[in-house]
Parts: sequence; structure tokens; C-alpha cells
Amino acid sequence: MEKVELKTVIKDWRLHAIAFILVAITEAIGQFSIAVGPGVILLLPMLYAFFLGLGLYFTPLISEKNAKNAEPLIILGVTLLIAKIGVTIGPQIEAIIAAGPALLLQELGNLGTIFLALPLAVLLGFRRESIGMTHSIAREPNVGLIVNKFGFSSPEGRGVMAVYIFGTVFGAVFLGLISGLLATATPLHPLSFAMASGVGSGSMMAAASGSLIGAYPELEEQIVAFAGASNLLSLSTGLYFSIFIGLPLTEKLYSIMMRRSERKAAKGGGPNA
Amino acid sequence: MLKSVIEWTWVLAIFGIAALIGNWFGMDVLPWNAIPGMLVLIAVSLVGLMLEKALPFSMPAVGYIGILAIIISLPWFPGSDYVVSWTSQIGILALATPILAYAGISVGSNWADFRKLGFRSFLVAIAVFLGTFIGSALIAEVILRWQGII
Repeated sequence: MEKVELKTVIKDWRLHAIAFILVAITEAIGQFSIAVGPGVILLLPMLYAFFLGLGLYFTPLISEKNAKNAEPLIILGVTLLIAKIGVTIGPQIEAIIAAGPALLLQELGNLGTIFLALPLAVLLGFRRESIGMTHSIAREPNVGLIVNKFGFSSPEGRGVMAVYIFGTVFGAVFLGLISGLLATATPLHPLSFAMASGVGSGSMMAAASGSLIGAYPELEEQIVAFAGASNLLSLSTGLYFSIFIGLPLTEKLYSIMMRRSERKAAKGGGPNA
Repeated sequence: MLKSVIEWTWVLAIFGIAALIGNWFGMDVLPWNAIPGMLVLIAVSLVGLMLEKALPFSMPAVGYIGILAIIISLPWFPGSDYVVSWTSQIGILALATPILAYAGISVGSNWADFRKLGFRSFLVAIAVFLGTFIGSALIAEVILRWQGII
């Protein structure tokens, strides 16, 4: 929000008209799903809107200036999305409290993301992008947090968007595939995977718990109850978990890793090290 | 501050129009039925943005906005019935579509950077999803066994 004047953004009617038309067309097309094994690839209007918008950048319709002006709309649009998620949680507060401490502690499992993916990201050569990528599974509230804190064009913003887009396109099918596979292939109980299915996205939860039910039909009701409660909890606490635990921990671990690799480089000496 | 608030209101209103269009075409909710809910969401966002500027804590605006939205929709909060029924007219995906439309347009100028993320970011994203899924399942397993549920 700091780089472009909001006044010029508001007056960029070419940009807004194009966005309005994109939204109308993509929402009118609607949703498609492609079955892939036990899961589905969900094709949602927001995906068409993203790729059409991106395509337009390479036509004369959208200039560099229009593209720059779009950024504040993203940041403030995300605030509306967070408000909508908030008012969805409020009415369910009693169900959340009843779901209990087991569900709460299971949320700490999200840190698995940081311990598994952050070292991999750094190893693959990512720098500050890796903070955005691995501090969470990059759903809307986490994108909101990163965009709000670092800006959309920052390395952190690019990182969180990369995982967000991966999750939007492949998240449901990927979790659907691995939940059935892991529940049948590992000694862990299917109800543990049911709780893990509630990552904070309805479509991902549906795909992940759906293939669990396929593998264990006799546990259907329990799987749905555990996955639903966990998803509710992830939705309601995910953002604050990221603000107070996930993001600070990721930044801390990142700086430790960077310091270590710098020291190693220094010790190695020589111009080629 | 006042200048910022007026400009935020304009940007939120423009975005709100895009979302109402999407809500209409995608969920068949006529815009005038969704306007009260949209005004509630815009008001909550504005208050959150103002709190971020006015208060000395380092909490981002989305943090205030989330808490505020939860509080006003709690069953015992006066008027929460209206808040919930008005905002239920706006689908979450109807808000996500314009965000992604503007994001697609905006990403164009960063396209070179995005392409650099490429295949490696695909691998990291897989590790991100595997990590949270397996991490949560392991902790759930331990606690459920301890509670004697499984």
C-alpha cells in the first residue's frame, strides 16, 4: 500500500472494469471437478480468474501501471475475506469449545510443515521466499498475514503465493491421495488422519476425509466429526497460530540456518567456496 | 488518518462491487440482498485497519479484523443474528475470486520472479502439505491413545 498512491488506484477504472468483467465471466462458468483416483482436482472460478488476469498482463489491455495498481485491491480484499471467515466462526464457538483439548494440541502438528519443508526450501536455494512458503500451508488467512506484513511483491509474498496457488490447484487432490495411502500403509489410526484432514480448507478436508471413509467405511461418522471439528479449529486459530508461533518460529529457524551456512562458507574460504 | 480512511473505504467499496458481481453470477444472490452483509464486512475491515494504525501493538490489521468479526457474530453478542444472516449472503469464494483476479493481473509484473520459483517451489509445496498432515496425525495419534479413544 505504501508504494502506489491510493487515489490513483481508486481512479484506475480500466483496471476495475477489467476485474469486474473477469469476475463475472469466471463465476458464470462455474466449478468443474476432474476425478483422479480417490480424489478430485477442483477447478474453481478463482483459478480461471487468476490465470486470465495473468494472461491479460501480456496483452495491451493491461499496462505495468495497471498491474501495480492492483496490489492494494488484493491487500484490502483479503481483509474482507478475513472478516467473512470471522463471522463464520462466531456462531460455531460452542462446538469449537466442546471439541476439546485433543483437537487443540493436534494443531501443533502444523509445525511439521516448518521442520520438514523449511530445510528443504533452504537446501533448494530459496532465501526469504522460504519464510512465506513454509510458515504454514498458505491458506487465505496466512496469505493475508504475509501480504499484510511483508507486502505482496516481497520475496515472502512470492513464496506464500507459490504455495497458495499449488494448494488451490492441487491441495485437495494431493491430500486426498496421500490420506488414503498413509492411513492404509502406516500403523497410525484412521481417526488420527481424520483430525489431520482439518487443515483449514473445506475442499481439502472433504477430499482427505473422503478417501479415509472410502478405506474405512465403518468409521464414517467418527471420521466426519473429527475432521470437521479440526477444520473449524484450524479456520479459527490458524491465523493466530501463524502470527504468534508459526511465523516467528520460521523466521528464527531461517536466520539460524542462514547464519550456519554463512559460517560454513566463510570457513571454506577461497573464492570458489 | 481521515484521508486514509476515506481512501480505504473507496478501495473496499470497489472490491465489494467485484465480489457482489461474483456472488450474483456464481451463487445467484442478487446484489441488493448481499449489500447489508458487504457493508458489515467493510465496516469490520475499516475498524481493523484503523486499530492497526492507532494501537501500538505489532499485530497486523487482519488479526484485529478476525477477532472483531468473531466477537460480533457470537450468539450472545447483541445483534449478532443480523450480522450472521446478512453476511451469510456472501459466499467465501465470491470474495476469493476477485482477489485472485487482481492477483493474476498484479502477478504479471512479477512473472519473471514467479517463474524462477518454478519446479523447486512445487517440491517445497509438497513438503509443506505432507509436513502439516503427518505432523497433525502423529500428535493426534499420541493424544487419542493417551485418552483411550483409539
